[in-house]
Amino acid sequence: MEFDGEFELEDVPPEKAWVVLSDPIAVRNSLKGCQYITPMDDDFSYDDYEADEDAETLPEADPEAVAARAFVEGQEYAALMQVGVGSVKPRFETSVTIEERDEENFIMTATGTGTASGSSFSMESGMQIHPLEDGEGSRIEWWTEADISGRIAQLGSRVINPVANKIVNNFFSDIETQMSDVDETDSGITDRIRGML
Amino acid sequence: MSSDSERFAEAEDGGPQPEKHCGHGRGGMGEEVKRKEDQRFITGRGNYVDDIKKPGMLHCEIVRSPHAHARIENIDKSRALKVDGVVAVLTAEDLLEHDLATMPTLMDDTQDVLVNDKVKFQSQEVAAVIATDRYTAKDGAQKVVVDYDVLDPVIGADKALEDDAPVIRDDIEGKEDNHCLDWETGDEEATAKAFEEADVTVKEDMLYQRLHPAPIETCGAVGDYDPGKDKLTVHMTSQAPHIHRTLFAQVSGIPEHKIRIVSPDVGGGFGNKVPIYPGYVVAAAASYVLEEPVKWVEERSENIQSTGFARDYDMTGEIAATEDGEIQAVRTDVLADHGAFNAVAQPSKFPAGFFNIFTGSYDIDTAYGTLTAAYTNTAPGGVAYRCSFRVTEAVYLIERMVKVLADELDMDPAEVRRKNFIQPEQFPYESATGWNYDSGDYEKALDKALEMADYDHYREEQQRRIEEDADKLLGIGVSSFTEVVGAGPGQSCDIAGVEMFDSAEIRVHPTGNATVRVGVQTQGQGHETTFAQIVAEELGMDVDDITVEHGDTDTDPYGLGTYGSRSTPVAGAAAAVASRKVREKAKAIAANELEAAEEDIDWDRESGQFHVTGAPDRSISITEIAAGAYMNHPKSEEPGLEAINYYDPPEMTYPFGSYIVVVEVDRETGEVEFEKFVAVDDCGNRINPMIIEGQIHGGLAQGIGTAMLEHVTFDDNGNVTGGDFMNYLLPTSMEIPEFETGHTVTPSPHHPIGAKGVGESPTVGSPPAIVNAVVDAMSHGGISHVEMPMTPDTVWEKLDEAGLSMDPADNVSLEFDDQQSGGTADD
Repeated sequence: MEFDGEFELEDVPPEKAWVVLSDPIAVRNSLKGCQYITPMDDDFSYDDYEADEDAETLPEADPEAVAARAFVEGQEYAALMQVGVGSVKPRFETSVTIEERDEENFIMTATGTGTASGSSFSMESGMQIHPLEDGEGSRIEWWTEADISGRIAQLGSRVINPVANKIVNNFFSDIETQMSDVDETDSGITDRIRGML
Repeated sequence: MSSDSERFAEAEDGGPQPEKHCGHGRGGMGEEVKRKEDQRFITGRGNYVDDIKKPGMLHCEIVRSPHAHARIENIDKSRALKVDGVVAVLTAEDLLEHDLATMPTLMDDTQDVLVNDKVKFQSQEVAAVIATDRYTAKDGAQKVVVDYDVLDPVIGADKALEDDAPVIRDDIEGKEDNHCLDWETGDEEATAKAFEEADVTVKEDMLYQRLHPAPIETCGAVGDYDPGKDKLTVHMTSQAPHIHRTLFAQVSGIPEHKIRIVSPDVGGGFGNKVPIYPGYVVAAAASYVLEEPVKWVEERSENIQSTGFARDYDMTGEIAATEDGEIQAVRTDVLADHGAFNAVAQPSKFPAGFFNIFTGSYDIDTAYGTLTAAYTNTAPGGVAYRCSFRVTEAVYLIERMVKVLADELDMDPAEVRRKNFIQPEQFPYESATGWNYDSGDYEKALDKALEMADYDHYREEQQRRIEEDADKLLGIGVSSFTEVVGAGPGQSCDIAGVEMFDSAEIRVHPTGNATVRVGVQTQGQGHETTFAQIVAEELGMDVDDITVEHGDTDTDPYGLGTYGSRSTPVAGAAAAVASRKVREKAKAIAANELEAAEEDIDWDRESGQFHVTGAPDRSISITEIAAGAYMNHPKSEEPGLEAINYYDPPEMTYPFGSYIVVVEVDRETGEVEFEKFVAVDDCGNRINPMIIEGQIHGGLAQGIGTAMLEHVTFDDNGNVTGGDFMNYLLPTSMEIPEFETGHTVTPSPHHPIGAKGVGESPTVGSPPAIVNAVVDAMSHGGISHVEMPMTPDTVWEKLDEAGLSMDPADNVSLEFDDQQSGGTADD
């Protein structure tokens, strides 16, 4: 299954959008059903890991902490996602690897696999932030190719697509709010974070 | 006064007997006795597998593959074992230790109980979690981490046979393709010649789509190993407990006398509960290893996605005929999807089941059929869903093709049938493919159906609507099917090598009542009543004095189980023959009691009494004889009054019927409404007309589901997209019209009571009648076929293709009905 789209943020410059989309906590907060996104090492356990529910994001967060936890190219992350699709609500234990982070052109790509009871998926996703031709804003282009198997896939695209679209739309409207909040703060902070990345 | 030979000829007498009025008020043959089993069913006291509770019982949940084709790289149990309440996690490796890793299918293929290496269909069994309760077992199953190397799936028999298709069965040595089997019947050369020389030939492609029997109770088992007795009891949803015991013994190495299979109340089988499934083996194995009872009950989607499907025959039919509609030859070619294993439930000598009965009710002396079956990455199956071994597909083929021929010749389809029927005097009739039909009077059944359906009226009405360009078209479909049921005989029919006989044992107790044990098992057919009626009839007992037991291999005589409408033809025959054995002994006891010579004792069917020849007053009842058997037995005889019979039928029986379906097809929406549904069945002599009627109703409902709603579908990745009741639609009472049923009676000449079996006639006979009706509504527009299930969009496309569809905009009415518009919401 393929999903893609783009959206524009008239007032948020690409640099600031990049900082927000690089923050696993900010991404988690905008992704409905996502309990955490956290770096994964060999000892990681989905059973034992407890997410920090209250981690602050920009503008309140400590810029150094935001910079320290930003997505790193080549790093594998564990994510726990619970999604209600039709009559089932699987809890996907997902591992995502950041394949590419192009700081110059604001490109980030990732691959991932997830498994839940009776369902599994693998995906390749990417996004690129373009500066708007008029003004300071950004145009964010995104794409995902997913292979879904098992119980979720059995429901068919007429059930899956609306759910996927809803998650994506929620995500971008929420992240837009977060970006706007960041935009209202001193751009010195985001510049500092970018410098630290 | 009547005797046996007058009422029901014994097998050796031969020749069909006329219908007789039955009923002596004791609940024997022909009486509408209320079903004995309904007392417990309608008061909620049935005892199904999931009702069984045992002290210390554990619960099993099966981890299934989300992929259709994948190699298992690793299974990590550790997280599941940490879940509080999880007792064990079993994988193929554990089963290998106990030699239980694989099981034979009914066609002697080998299927992993739990996948050892490669997953071959979505929802295949990968691991089993055993826990203290069901919820915990489910939680544990979520924590079993399986690493898969996902492979390209093969979906569709046509794709499976392409040269570059991935090989599914690389576990079979030297296997380099997905070819499963070829089969052929009839005379190729003669058939080709007949087609070359014929005035008219017709050809049609048709798919009998993949169905699932979808019994309301899913499959389940409670394995209960008793280490004290070293005995394994398995309570399971089995249509064939004895053969399952034999298979369990073969698979496990546990001696057969140390295994007891109990099939308690079963909520529908329809062929789905004939095969052995991994869940049964896992529950039994887990109980054996853990020494505690273990219950496994599958969910609905597990049932549809992993247990035996039915049909999936992609067929081409051809008929060669004269200009005036005399059929000269029939030819067919089939591509069959067998799923990932060859697990079709067919007698081993008939790899395509009884598909070679595709000449149907017609006297066609030239026929040829071929079939190729392929492996695909779908669940294994090919079970006989409420039918005998592929006869459903055969009947669909010939009954559809006769309609195609009638349309080609512009003849009435009823007339084409009449012209080609095998005539009553031709029986016993040997078909072009070697089948020996016992008896039939096809025209009589058709005439009755035509009359009941008011056929001529609807033909006129159909024409009127065409001429008036009406919004709703009328279609009239006919199906004059012949069924073949009651397998054996044992020398040609077997399950896993065991001959298909059946059995009944009668024990008459000292106080004059009796216990009857039969080798078949019931899934709702009413055996406890039907068999009691046979014995009541044959012994002159009251039906209330007879209890029928079944489904327990420790107590019941060996039998091959209930499927293919074989219970009455085979076990029913055994019950009648055993009754007659009891009657023979009863005569000796009667002679002793009445102080007469044994040869001077007659039995009177009407009164049920034994009496001295020529002196009806010197009589004695079976109750008194029973007392005599235990309290004053003649010295020439052993004490007691019992008999057992293992019945190997000399031939199968051939029930038949004519169904007429009238439908309205909405030219705007493609919706199909049933206007009339007439079913005339002939199942030989009738035991309980009420049970027969119930069987017909149920089967017709399933036929409607087949024709209109049901299809197990897959996407290209092998995901089952028709694998639950949200997507696999069963008909409800809303979709079922009123049925008008009728019957004719043409007894089977070789069956002890002239009965033939009826359970599957309606499922077999009705789909072609329904499709023929829908096609008939559009045949004036050149439509020759509509694929099942005939959903509104499928039908609308055909309407559109024929130029018969109506644009909804043409038909919008802005006039309001006064009464309706004046109503309120409370109305």
